[in-house]
Amino acid sequence: MTFLNVVTRGLQRRPVRTGLTLLGIAVGIAAVVTLIGMSRGFITSWTAGMKSRGTDIVVHNMRGSLTPQPFPASTRERIAHLPSVAATCNVLVNIMSVETAELMIVSAREWGGFSWDNLKLVSGRMPKDPMEKAAVLGTTAAEVLKKKVGDTVQIETQELNVVGIVEGGAFVENGSIILSLPLLQEITGNQDKISAIDVRLVPGMDDAGIRRLCDEMSRLIPEAHAEPAGQHLVHTQGYRVINAMSWGTSLLAVIVGVFGVTNTMLMSVFERQQEIAILLALGWRRTRIVRMILLESALLGLLGGILGIGLGVVGIQLMKTAPAIRGLLEPDLSLNLVLIAITISVCVGVLSGFYPAWRSSRLTPSLALHG
Amino acid sequence: MSNHEKLAALPFVYEAAGLKKEYDEGTVHALRGVDFQIADGEFVAIVGPSGSGKTTLLQMLGALDRPTAGTLSYRGKSLSDLKDDAAYRAHEIGFIFQSFHLLPPFTASENVEMPMFEDHQSNAARSTRARELLKSVGLEHRFNHFPSKLSGGERQRVAIARSLANSPSVLLADEPTGNLDSENAILILDLLSDLQRERRMTLILITHDMSVARRASRAIQMKDGRIVFDGEPSKLSTHS
Repeated sequence: MTFLNVVTRGLQRRPVRTGLTLLGIAVGIAAVVTLIGMSRGFITSWTAGMKSRGTDIVVHNMRGSLTPQPFPASTRERIAHLPSVAATCNVLVNIMSVETAELMIVSAREWGGFSWDNLKLVSGRMPKDPMEKAAVLGTTAAEVLKKKVGDTVQIETQELNVVGIVEGGAFVENGSIILSLPLLQEITGNQDKISAIDVRLVPGMDDAGIRRLCDEMSRLIPEAHAEPAGQHLVHTQGYRVINAMSWGTSLLAVIVGVFGVTNTMLMSVFERQQEIAILLALGWRRTRIVRMILLESALLGLLGGILGIGLGVVGIQLMKTAPAIRGLLEPDLSLNLVLIAITISVCVGVLSGFYPAWRSSRLTPSLALHG
Repeated sequence: MSNHEKLAALPFVYEAAGLKKEYDEGTVHALRGVDFQIADGEFVAIVGPSGSGKTTLLQMLGALDRPTAGTLSYRGKSLSDLKDDAAYRAHEIGFIFQSFHLLPPFTASENVEMPMFEDHQSNAARSTRARELLKSVGLEHRFNHFPSKLSGGERQRVAIARSLANSPSVLLADEPTGNLDSENAILILDLLSDLQRERRMTLILITHDMSVARRASRAIQMKDGRIVFDGEPSKLSTHS
């Protein structure tokens, strides 16, 4: 019998209580996995979308606000001539309620710009000219809106013909309604305004070179910021709020888990006072008793974490299909997030075990001779 | 001469002088100045009614508690000054309890392994030793049985095997036959007597049963925290 066997038997003696405690931790960890997975998914989904369009740098002005602030389309002229810039494309992106979809990405692109190139027609055709009252839908957007070629889609007060269904090569692209820039500028009253410039660079630039170019662009256009694709979202106010809320909610759930494990371990120590005293009378050192309780607690955390990750995966799958966010982002369940969740759960276990372990170390071995 | 040899050369295992123990801020006097010496290899029965102080004395001998006043030394060293009382309990003494105190979630063999965790033996060595000890108390057919599946007598035999785990030189037994029927009580006493004789161990046994005390080579009778008789068990009846 190993010391670990001694520890696991401690948990097995009250299977219902152990199971409920595991569930308590698991709910907390599932919250971490789901919420953080969602907020990270926001970044990875949009980064993947950018990559599928072939965008290396995004010029935007989202940093100081929750939503993108439109800026003049002419801004592009100040950076397009830079030697490392291969192409640019003005875009206006809105996340808005469209018909039955509460949140839908409406992505308007400069007519003839490279940001159209990644779109592959699944059915129908592309708009014929920039002012045609038409849009193409990404495959997921078409599913969410239940539209097919020949239907119409209403964006604010304007009814547009759905002329094509496209595959964009990324989750966010497939979840978008895509139309020409002048059309959306007209619909939203943002004539000559854009929310971002997609910048494609000449091949072969390394990360350091891209960063230097971003700095140079930001100097040339002080009213906006140039950042590598994907990172432009990390520094936005909106993402920070989402991230903070995700961590805050997860933290609350984890704190509930800590109290749950502490309660279980304390009850376990109280119930086993005489057993612990017997072990002390048999020559066990107090440090071994403390180790036993902490290991039990850590094991509870670990098992709760594994269960929580499982629940989190289920939660993520459910969230992916939720009408409110379907097509908007793909939750990110990376190995890194799994490791964070496991680390948190083990820390929850150890942290929760400190007080019960300390109480157990204070027991007197003479209790062994009572009863 | 090694430390162990030096200790073994001393004439007494335990020496108590003016041993006192008070509880509840001095309102309860469990021991009121107890003096005795116990030699290596003796079989001593400590007898007395409830509240006489015999369990308190056993706690002192097992370093489970410390005296309020007086000294109690083990092989010449004061138990109050022990830096590592866990090591003393793990290696020098073995405890046998009235209620057996086996740990329910563990098999007989695993219960016997428990004291060996502080001895830094390998898992295999612990397991082998536990099985040898269970065999020596006649329980080779009960290795993997949980305490709930054992009779009272078998549980106490497991507890005796456990007390021998680290080859102690002293066995401290607290009413070891108190929860057994007369047949099993005789078997357990025979087993303890044989072990004490074969292994030349010091056996200190607490009992309120005079017939059990008479099996010892010496009896110490206590009353109200004091020793009222210390001598041959056969003479106990005239003093009880």
